[in-house]
Amino acid sequence: MAEPEKEENVCKESIYNRLFTSLSTSIYNFIFFKCGNAAQAEDLVQEAFIKLWENCAKVPEAKAKSFLYAVCNNAFLNEVAHKKVVLNYVQKTGSQINEQSPQYILEEKEFEKKLQNAIANLTEAQRIAFLMNRIDGKKYREIADILNISIKAVEKRMSQALEALRKEIGNI
Amino acid sequence: MSEKLLHKFLNSEITEAEMEILKASDVYREYLKIASHTSTMQTPSFNKERVRQNLSERTSIEKKKAIPLFNYRSLLKYAALIVLMLVGYFYLVTMDVSVTSQLAEKRTYTLPDKSEVTLNADSKITYNKNSWDDKRALTLRGEAFFKVMKGGKFDVETSLGTVRVMGTQFNVQTRDKHFHVSCYEGLVEVYFQNQSIQLTAGNSVIIENGKLIAEQTISTTKPGWMFDESTFENALLENVIEELERQYGVKVEINLTDKTKRFTGTFTHTNLEDALKTICVPLQLNYSIDDNRVIKIYEE
Repeated sequence: MAEPEKEENVCKESIYNRLFTSLSTSIYNFIFFKCGNAAQAEDLVQEAFIKLWENCAKVPEAKAKSFLYAVCNNAFLNEVAHKKVVLNYVQKTGSQINEQSPQYILEEKEFEKKLQNAIANLTEAQRIAFLMNRIDGKKYREIADILNISIKAVEKRMSQALEALRKEIGNI
Repeated sequence: MSEKLLHKFLNSEITEAEMEILKASDVYREYLKIASHTSTMQTPSFNKERVRQNLSERTSIEKKKAIPLFNYRSLLKYAALIVLMLVGYFYLVTMDVSVTSQLAEKRTYTLPDKSEVTLNADSKITYNKNSWDDKRALTLRGEAFFKVMKGGKFDVETSLGTVRVMGTQFNVQTRDKHFHVSCYEGLVEVYFQNQSIQLTAGNSVIIENGKLIAEQTISTTKPGWMFDESTFENALLENVIEELERQYGVKVEINLTDKTKRFTGTFTHTNLEDALKTICVPLQLNYSIDDNRVIKIYEE
């Protein structure tokens, strides 16, 4: 097997841009799941990519993703712990809604409100893993990589999140 | 079973058939509803383009920072650097060179005139590289075997006396107050206190506390320690154990009522237990080694 080519480093603009295009939204979402603040999330994702550029000579392309997530995690180390993070989400409008009865629509809206509140009551670990999977569409393997935990641990967090949400929302 | 299917669902890997199984349970139907609804939630829009713009401004600024290669400030910096380098160079060149051997280490070193010195464990020589051509003089602490190239005088200075030769092979041992010089070839002159004595090949002299106490003939061509052995003749047990500590890098506690026991014999440098046995058995002593390699020697 031939030796892999020496990695191009991130200082090459085309590589840096490619990383931004593919990773920025996920990282923005990740920060948002953590702090619930859109403006802060946008600032931090920008900061993370600036730090990446400043260190571009030292970070090989394959490590750029973990570098960026590490920068994000570090930004939160000084945050006051365990503030209840209420995330204000935007609800995608379903195409079927118009066809349902007003009663049904009302019930669905109630449910969604309860759901958002219940999500805010999850532990940070559960919330982040759960939302990375549900909103950002990440599979367990990728979540495990980013959070540096095992896939089993991701399964556990997902199960716990669903159980907690179900209990809190009550009768559906 | 359902738990596993749930995770398959969440990972978008579930089949239709498996879905039906999940939906059969009330609890899991609720999980499915929660999961699906959460998927329809979105994070607030991320202004990717604006961030990309900001980044390209920042990154192009960084690129534009050209480092001026030549201006007054950097000229001063370079000049200071060169001065420091020159000072450092002169300092190093006039400094003495030291060669040290650690516990349990033997080391051979070649001097600028191709003379060779082999250090026994825990020993040190110091000499000045620059003046070596004019005057071959070095300081020794511990024990070393010298192979001196023909040339002018060659001096080995120790705290207990000085050995002077003119092209020869000899061993010098200084441990505490014990000064032992052996000549294997050529002629060696030993200076101590206000006396001097000459040694020809095959002879050695022991000076303790400033007094000449023994002159012996030697039958070997090199000292025993260069063959990984230490030989003693009627030596104080204390000195024998000290050499053992040096060769193996261990600590030994001696608990004896009779502190004047003497040892005649040879111990190896290559096996600690064998060495301990050769010392202890003839003297009717016993030893123990604990987990930290601390050795105790006591009477049987």
